[in-house]
Amino acid sequence: MSAADNKKSHYINAKEISFKFDGKKYLGYKGDTIASALLRNNVRLVARSFKYHRPRGLYTCGIEEPNGIVQILNEHNEPNTRATVKQIYEGIRVNSQNRWPSLNLDVGSINNLLSPMFSAGFYYKTFMGPKGFWKKIYEPVIRRTAGLGKPPKEFRSKSVHQNHNVDIVIVGGGLSGLIAARKLIDTEYDVLLLEQDSFLGGILKNSNKIKKINNIDVNKWIKETEKLLKASKNIKIFKNSLVTSYNFTNHLIALEDKCAGKEINKDKSELTLHKIRTTHTILANGHIERFISFRNNDLPGVMLASSFEKYIHRYGVVPETSPVIFTNNSTTATLLKSLIDLGHKPAAYVDARDKDKIGKKLLDYLKKSNIPFYINSEVEGCDGSKKIKTISIRKNKNKIIKVKSSMLCVSGGINPDIHLFTQSKGLVKWDDKLVTFKPDVPFQNTITLGSVSGNYNYEKTIDEIDQKLSFLKAKNIRFNLELNDSNNFNIQELWETKHEKKSNWSKSFIDLHNDVTTKDLKQAVKEGFDRIEHLKRFTTNSMGTDQGKISSINSLGIVSKILKKKISEVGTTTYRPPYAPLSFSAIAGRNTYEFYDPQRKTPIHYWHIENKAVFEDVGQWKRPWYFKKFETESMHLAVQRESAQTRKTAGILDGSTLGKIEVKGKDALEFMNLMYTNAFTKMKPMTSRYALMLGEDGMIKDDGIVCKFNDKHFIATTTSGGAPKVLADMEEYLQTEWPHLQVFVNSITEQFSTFNISGPKSREIVSKVFTDVDFSNENFPFMTFKVFDYKDTEVRIMRASFTGELGYEIYITPNHALELWKKIFHYGKAYDLVPYGTETMHLLRAEKGYVVIGQETDGTVTPIDLNFNWMIGKKKKDFIGKRSLTRSDTSREDRKQLVGIIPLDKSEFIEEGQHVVECERLPKPIKTPVEYLGHVSSSYHSPNLNHCIAMAMLKGGNKLMGRKLFVSSTYGNKNIPVEVVSPVFIDPENKRLVS
Amino acid sequence: MILINCPYCGERDQSEFSNGGEAHVARPENSENLNDKDWGRYVFYRDNPKGIFYERWVHTHGCRKWFNAVRNTSTDEILKIYKLDENPPSKESFTNTLKTPSGEPKVGSGNFTVKK
Ligand SMILES: [Zn+2]
Repeated sequence: MSAADNKKSHYINAKEISFKFDGKKYLGYKGDTIASALLRNNVRLVARSFKYHRPRGLYTCGIEEPNGIVQILNEHNEPNTRATVKQIYEGIRVNSQNRWPSLNLDVGSINNLLSPMFSAGFYYKTFMGPKGFWKKIYEPVIRRTAGLGKPPKEFRSKSVHQNHNVDIVIVGGGLSGLIAARKLIDTEYDVLLLEQDSFLGGILKNSNKIKKINNIDVNKWIKETEKLLKASKNIKIFKNSLVTSYNFTNHLIALEDKCAGKEINKDKSELTLHKIRTTHTILANGHIERFISFRNNDLPGVMLASSFEKYIHRYGVVPETSPVIFTNNSTTATLLKSLIDLGHKPAAYVDARDKDKIGKKLLDYLKKSNIPFYINSEVEGCDGSKKIKTISIRKNKNKIIKVKSSMLCVSGGINPDIHLFTQSKGLVKWDDKLVTFKPDVPFQNTITLGSVSGNYNYEKTIDEIDQKLSFLKAKNIRFNLELNDSNNFNIQELWETKHEKKSNWSKSFIDLHNDVTTKDLKQAVKEGFDRIEHLKRFTTNSMGTDQGKISSINSLGIVSKILKKKISEVGTTTYRPPYAPLSFSAIAGRNTYEFYDPQRKTPIHYWHIENKAVFEDVGQWKRPWYFKKFETESMHLAVQRESAQTRKTAGILDGSTLGKIEVKGKDALEFMNLMYTNAFTKMKPMTSRYALMLGEDGMIKDDGIVCKFNDKHFIATTTSGGAPKVLADMEEYLQTEWPHLQVFVNSITEQFSTFNISGPKSREIVSKVFTDVDFSNENFPFMTFKVFDYKDTEVRIMRASFTGELGYEIYITPNHALELWKKIFHYGKAYDLVPYGTETMHLLRAEKGYVVIGQETDGTVTPIDLNFNWMIGKKKKDFIGKRSLTRSDTSREDRKQLVGIIPLDKSEFIEEGQHVVECERLPKPIKTPVEYLGHVSSSYHSPNLNHCIAMAMLKGGNKLMGRKLFVSSTYGNKNIPVEVVSPVFIDPENKRLVS
Repeated sequence: MILINCPYCGERDQSEFSNGGEAHVARPENSENLNDKDWGRYVFYRDNPKGIFYERWVHTHGCRKWFNAVRNTSTDEILKIYKLDENPPSKESFTNTLKTPSGEPKVGSGNFTVKK
């Protein structure tokens, strides 16, 4: 007993292909899937199960496969590929998964003997403690043995995304899909026909249930149809395209495999993700057969009956010439006939139905063909080690008899494939006659045709299509079918058969993929998990990558029996996209590596690279972090050098990333007064001011410098990361709260490059660069700005500083920026002008006690907490957040306030993020919680003071000046003693700033 | 991904828009006269009903214009879109199709896949 070729199949003359499975070479035909090729070679054992490492074989012939999941070694080691879908090509190398050291000899199968440990809720119950075990023992062990393949070694696959806007999408190119498409040829609609397989036909190819359509042989009819569709002006066909999601507003995602049956071409994309918007969706995606639970229903050799039929007709391989057929419904009759027509003889036919339901015609046929058959009977279980040897049949629901065969075809009924329908939020209802859920009320413009709508009768399907498509004014073409057998569906409800044997080896599975047994379901219900959603998570039933496609309805059936409820009362679990696994590379598309997120570079970027800048990401910006003077200079040394030099002579920072927003209009002054805390009314034209923006909750959101040209024109800077949000907030208030204000706001961040030059020698340097400008203190005082012509453009220079030194901010159009930057260095050389990066910027501002939004502040800090009372325009009637500053909470005196701290021992270093407390050592044991006073927000080693300086946010910090406190640390075994001081460490009188 | 019909640009993908929360919450004038509780109500409290909700959207990656929408939060249906200066449609003009108070079926899944 073994596999045979279907002599009537076109595969007989197909091209031979060699491939490797687990290192061994086999031959298959072109067009074979890995599964059909393995069956041709009588390979039955293809996997080890997830939890118990039981031997498993191919169970289905499609996307619903729970067992045959493999790793493709020569395609970036792609794991979790369905052997029943993936086509072979010359040289493909495939490995089984979840076995060690080999499929035949698997160490993990000891789990099967330990199976009492692995029952429902196993993960929740077992791995609770002791502390530390999870990381060291449980997780590594589980990861090794409960693997679902190994991750790809590198991310290299290529995919593209494609958008479609169409009128009608037809999901599925089977009988109903093709007829629907033919009726839409040359109509006014744009139509997409999506077929998951590499050929059209569906049921017409999967079985011989339908012989002829309009007197034409079905294979010819499919060819003719494809030709007609391709020739039409309005219908496009995508094969190898699986619809994975059906989202709201008729938005579908389909994944097209561009390499089906071919080796990957490194220069071309492997996958196309189609994003489709449609007006109407026609679901013609068919049905999926379900199994029946019995003892050892997972042994290699058990296969769904319709899948067995598919292998015969689609791939021309009869997996076993004399299998046992076990059914509870009418769909298996054609499998029986297919086998007999090919000259094979099933070992037995077992039907759970009574003779009335089976019908005289089939019974006569069984008798005539001399097939042993058992009606009113069921399969109790099967035995064997790595494949089936004997099958136990409970004859007339009574006596057990044994039949020898290596394969068992099982059918527990068929389920409309409602996955996509429910994803689209359609409601389903239980059908007592079909014993399954079927679509009821669609939520969107969804039409279901054929078996997905619960219509299992092909002749009625023709009427159904006519009727459901009539509103589209589709073509009135009549299709007449010639069937091989009458196909009035009937079924006897059966979810599980009773066990005779009891041993650890004897298990009846409900979820093959996740190794969940029917016993687990019963135990979970006993433990109180009687809601289907809870039960699913507790047992992990239907939570594998197959999402329980062949078994989830069965589990509802079993649970409804335990709970003594109707299945419709038990309900279904949620069907979530994707329908089948799709790889991350498909989702990523071309948004990978340098295309993942735009990189924003300043005009000086390449100069920075030449000068050994190390970059830091600030939002999308690349900013120099520090500049290495020589290759081995450490960050610490570089920052100390840059900081000291800036205070000694001069330093320059590329501040082009700073957000800039231009505010213009009749009511600009009023608008600015409302947006910022500061009062701008009395501010003189051509002066600037440090300004704060709050949320309505009174918390600081952003800061920057506002330049006032006149009452109708301002330019505000924002933090580098905050610019888009500030602009959006301004727009929002203008449109929604103050539409009466006549103001325009516009981002000019990239229209101007910005350089911040500061240090005692900065005036001398800029005087040499801009010889026409008077930079004297009297003519160009602190916080004023000038605009003047420079070459064919304008330059704006503002006297401002973020270092505490004399400083200028230069704004210039980007096309002149690099040239000007180089010019500044040309004249700066004599003064040892140093370029510095963001780290030195942070250090210098900390020495001066300037805060950084997002470092000292975290969305819970008010201007009062930072002692910025002077920046609040108290006399203004209103500004955003004003009222919140007098809320009882914001006016508390014990709020966290900004202070400076320095270590008492000047050689010690305070770390950012550490806690500030009152005790040197934590009491042991800790009886009452140690009061936490606050945290260190910034800390640096100051090269100019030669010790550590830090800023902290402390509860009631203003009252703690001069106090001795302690800061926790990650080194040493005690806290560091510190003194609370003013956060301004350098030049508190602002002499350097205004000189 | 839902489609949103921007009143200025037409139907566009949801990814072009940002949601601005509940609509018709006016920023109080003369806030200095409000007590902490009333001001706090404006700053911190927003409605979050299951069912019909009046909310604000902005066409961030488009015209940058704000507008209002009425959305059924349990089904994501956008029932009405109107400009900021237009009057909101009355709540009675929409029928709430949810059967139970919470919108969930009495038994079974939270996805209400099975028709009651
Ligand atoms: Zn728009």
